[in-house]
Amino acid sequence: MIEILTIITSLFSMIGMWKVFKKFGKKGWLSLIPLVNGYKLGECVRRERDGFFMLLFTVIIRGLTVISAFVDIESIQYDILLITQFIFTIPMWVLSVRIYIGLVEAFGRKKRWAILFFFFDWFMLMLFGFSKKFMPLDDYVGDKHSDAELSNISLLGDGSGLSVNLNKRTTVNFFKKLTLLRDIHLTIPTGHMVLLLGGSGAGKTTFLNAVTGYEKADAEIKIGKLDVYKEYSRMKYDIGFVPQGDLMRDNDTVYRTIADAASLRLTTDMKPAEKRKRVEEVLDIFGLLPLKSSLVSKLSGGQRKRLSIAMEYISFPTLFILDEPDSGLDGVVARNLFEKLREIADTGKIVIVITHTPDRVIDLFDDVIVLAKDAERTGRLAYYGPVDEVYDFFGKESMENILLAINQKDEGGEGRAEEFVSKYVSRLKAAGGEA
Amino acid sequence: MNKMHSGRIAQTFIYVGKLFRMFIFRNDWKVLPMAAIIAALVSYVISGTVFKTMEGTLQGTFALSCICIWNGFFNSIQVICRERPIIKREHRSGLHMSSYIAAHMIYQVFLCLCQTIIVIAVLKVTDVAVPTVSYVTGSATIDFGITLFLSTYAADMLALFVSALVRNTTMAMTIMPFLMIFQLIFSGGFFSLQGEALALTNFTISKWSLSALCAEGEYNSLPNGVVLSALNSMNTENVSMPENIETDDAEQYMFMIDNMREMMKDEETRNSFMLKCGEMSRNDQFESSAENIIDCWISISLYVILFSVLSVISLEFIDRDKR
Repeated sequence: MIEILTIITSLFSMIGMWKVFKKFGKKGWLSLIPLVNGYKLGECVRRERDGFFMLLFTVIIRGLTVISAFVDIESIQYDILLITQFIFTIPMWVLSVRIYIGLVEAFGRKKRWAILFFFFDWFMLMLFGFSKKFMPLDDYVGDKHSDAELSNISLLGDGSGLSVNLNKRTTVNFFKKLTLLRDIHLTIPTGHMVLLLGGSGAGKTTFLNAVTGYEKADAEIKIGKLDVYKEYSRMKYDIGFVPQGDLMRDNDTVYRTIADAASLRLTTDMKPAEKRKRVEEVLDIFGLLPLKSSLVSKLSGGQRKRLSIAMEYISFPTLFILDEPDSGLDGVVARNLFEKLREIADTGKIVIVITHTPDRVIDLFDDVIVLAKDAERTGRLAYYGPVDEVYDFFGKESMENILLAINQKDEGGEGRAEEFVSKYVSRLKAAGGEA
Repeated sequence: MNKMHSGRIAQTFIYVGKLFRMFIFRNDWKVLPMAAIIAALVSYVISGTVFKTMEGTLQGTFALSCICIWNGFFNSIQVICRERPIIKREHRSGLHMSSYIAAHMIYQVFLCLCQTIIVIAVLKVTDVAVPTVSYVTGSATIDFGITLFLSTYAADMLALFVSALVRNTTMAMTIMPFLMIFQLIFSGGFFSLQGEALALTNFTISKWSLSALCAEGEYNSLPNGVVLSALNSMNTENVSMPENIETDDAEQYMFMIDNMREMMKDEETRNSFMLKCGEMSRNDQFESSAENIIDCWISISLYVILFSVLSVISLEFIDRDKR
């Protein structure tokens, strides 16, 4: 009797899921494939990871069920199989709740609907699948496509700065290929300080990782005449990347922190006395000389930032990248820090900075790179050019308003990213590929 | 021209220096008094019987193995995972993971060595018996010390591997008790295990540590007092015989027990009885020979190598950490 009920409810679930898949713009027949349908449901509601693990655990549980059929019911092996199945069943339940929560959210309903899904999934899938009162939010439906195409162009600078020709940066997330970045072509001359602007998830850090060669993309990145990807082992010392957090050991001294960074980043042909001189010089540049015996934990927020920057600056890199160096700093300290970065750029370096409060220091920058998510949620170049032209391009008066214009509506923005991506592509095409 | 940057050996020494500074500034030295406190507590419990009787030796060496594993685990369970983002940054700047782990291995040798010396010193101060016959180095204390050191170090390397594998301290501290329980249950000496469970003991540090310590303490030559203790604890006046035993037989048994207890009052008889009991419960795993002890040391050392290699491999994937 229970078996018959299970079969009937499973059939209802599949039929309901077919209609749900259709509402999401997916292939309905996928609901008929046991195991895979759960994963696909997770994919529909952007919970691929949960869907993948649910699929994995289901396979394990079914596998153990099959094995247990060949094992003596009185044996210890049978007990172990039973306990293992139970162990995997617990996360299965949790994952299914997560997917149901994702599903009700995708349909714009309150989370408590997920409780009904947990107990009567077959009924709720039928209800959500067949009833016209239950429709998924626009954001979740279908495969969107961006019209703004710009492929296989190649920008070459004057041979001294940074040239970026990034065609695509993709990743595979649980069997699904995702394009994180696309068509980013620009050249930055030496001595320029560039602001990298973009909303959350626009791919700023991904872009910087691709530029530095840390995460390779389908791209050609050159500093001067040297290819960053082809000569990464050599070039990585010529690129300084200051990460977002203050990633240093709190219980080391300021001097040793810099000295150890010098030992890692400077070449072995440099004499110890020269290295010591370089360490002192950098400590002096960043105003840390009086603090050289202090423990890192005793430094203020601004001093820690300067130390973090000094660790990368020790090798005097040509390309200097900073990911939110001003986070947690007040206006005066932040301004001070950016003025220091300006001085570095003026020595003939390229400085690229991500910051979420650009307006207070915008006068120090030469150029702006604006990254935005297009309709396919891929990071695209919405603008690259001088600071004084960016306001006209976006029709806004401040960087923060530009950010609002390109941010998605569900992030509180105007959702005009696609418009500016297209506008920038048209502008670039009109200029014959000149950035 | 391609200029050279610091190689693996140079980097190892940079990080050894860093770790020793951490020892002073980050209060990593606290593991040393902790080792003394644990050793004192254990010595209080085992002082009367370890290396004197078989059952006392088994309990005592099990406790000593536990001290080593506990110390080793606590030395390094959090050391890598707590600074994982920093290592990721340094890896980006050219840090070799093999150098980083090698530095930890050197530093942990120092810590484990200090802990071993502290444990032996505490045992001596509290008058706990230690092995007196040397089978390998010529000094029983050094043989004993090597076993304690290797056990601590192997546990340390296992914890280092876990620390390299997981992404945060919470996860590391969640896994640690499971590893500890596994080491204790499957030590093979203390809990009686059969079949596949017995085979699992080969995968524990505690099994080889326990075997080496028992071998050094001449376990198989020691008297066994288990039967005598059982005999002494029997109160023949209150013993109720199973129903299938005839009353006459029961009386016979009572008489025998009383008789044996009377005999055991003589020290010489008692000692030879316990030695006979010991002779009959010998365990090949604890055979006191240089070969057996060296085999145990090699097995523990293999774990050290295995876990350090696994630590390097785990850290090579650090770039895949999500932001």
